[in-house]
Amino acid sequence: MITLSFFQDLFQQDFMLRALLTGIILGALAPLIGSIVVVRRLSFIADTLGHFSLVGISVSLYISTFGISFFLEKPLYLGLLFSVIGGLLIELFRRSYKNYKEISMVIVISLGSAMSAIFFSLAKKTGSLYQYLFGSILTVTNYYLMLIFITAIIVLVLFMLFGKQILSVSFDETTARFLGINVNLFQFVFMIVLSMVVSVLLESVGVLLISSMMIIPVASAMRFGWSYRSTLIISIVFSELSILLGLWLAYSFIIPSGAAIVSVNVLILLIVSVIKKLVVKRNISKLDQLK
Amino acid sequence: MLIEIKNLSFAYGHRTVINGLSHTINSGDYLVIQGKNGTGKTTLIKCLLGINSVKNGMIFFDGQDINVFGGWTRFGYVSQNLDDFNYEFPLTVEELLKFSSITKMQQSNYLKHLDQMGILDIVNQNINSLSGGQLQRVFIVRAMLNNPQVLILDEPTASIDKQNTAFFYKTVEELNKLGITIILITHTESLEHINYSHRLTMSLDLTTEVERKIPIEVVNKL
Repeated sequence: MITLSFFQDLFQQDFMLRALLTGIILGALAPLIGSIVVVRRLSFIADTLGHFSLVGISVSLYISTFGISFFLEKPLYLGLLFSVIGGLLIELFRRSYKNYKEISMVIVISLGSAMSAIFFSLAKKTGSLYQYLFGSILTVTNYYLMLIFITAIIVLVLFMLFGKQILSVSFDETTARFLGINVNLFQFVFMIVLSMVVSVLLESVGVLLISSMMIIPVASAMRFGWSYRSTLIISIVFSELSILLGLWLAYSFIIPSGAAIVSVNVLILLIVSVIKKLVVKRNISKLDQLK
Repeated sequence: MLIEIKNLSFAYGHRTVINGLSHTINSGDYLVIQGKNGTGKTTLIKCLLGINSVKNGMIFFDGQDINVFGGWTRFGYVSQNLDDFNYEFPLTVEELLKFSSITKMQQSNYLKHLDQMGILDIVNQNINSLSGGQLQRVFIVRAMLNNPQVLILDEPTASIDKQNTAFFYKTVEELNKLGITIILITHTESLEHINYSHRLTMSLDLTTEVERKIPIEVVNKL
């Protein structure tokens, strides 16, 4: 009964249709970027940028207290700007601590958390903090859907034009230079793309769940992927599945949508890991029988 | 490409690893840099490739100072233990070489080089299923995509068994015969498989020793 009304509402209620379209786009976008983040062994980076993006949102809300309504209505713009600044800061610190990439992220995430707490407090909007920490795909607006659509188009075009260079630099930064690739430029391009995706994910899944949207479907797909392409396709399938199931769970049991989506993601990872173990075990016993 | 190293010194903090090294590598040379672990072999290569910035001493490529040199695509480099490469993520040999092929020349090159290296049959295999020897050859193919003038191999046989080591050195020798300058780093003392033209031995006490083999053509003229 709940399932039937879910599907009816999915196409009859505007907010559900928006959530579905947003989910479909994010379901492809997050693992596309997430796969590169995993290759670069920087799984923590989306969290870091999310926290720094939060500084932009809190600053925007603070500015709005001086009577400028634009900053209250559209805090995501400053969120995006600060996400990019966070990305550049990570690159800057990463060069100072070449062999300790995670140090740069700890510095930026700490700074981001501290600054956002200060500005949320100054803006007297600590109540809206929950919304940005956990997000809600069910409350996205038409304007936000359009923003995600534009971001997806930009990311796709950049990947079509420079996908090879971005992948080459991600897999092996040292030797990419000898292939004629401007390593610094493509690191910068990727950081901008990542910052954009993190900013648009902020409203629908929230700061605390951004990383899981990007990384967990890729981690699940790595169990069965035999090539980069196959791993990416499997991760997008898992991601879309988790969004649809998550939406259904959120609608049916009235729970936060971002948390429901991420929980399904983790469940898929667990199931896939168990299946993989069973497959490996069966193959080993088959080999033993042949011997 | 003529490579001139002049009075090069390099230190990590207070620990000097290269002290006043001077050496010339001519076009088409096969240089073996030999020495125990910690004698500065990889540091020297990183200086040559601009990965370590040179503050004491000078390096020239065809007379051009390394600090203004921009022709890095003339180099092919296979790093030690491939430690900078993430080869745990699922990736086929073909995918690796395809996204490493930025120019049209590179795209047309990789199948030819795979064939030359005797590993055309593994083109669809996942790189984390390859043996150490196969992986090294794949990375040499990647380094060869630009048709480099200088190929630098840092401890290339570290993860290859003895049988494949001989075959590997033969392949490198053939590349050298095509006119490519080879710079090969090794910490092993047995060099019987390697037909090098000169050898630079680096020691822990920061001294260096150079041995130059007389080319056969020169011997015949004597």
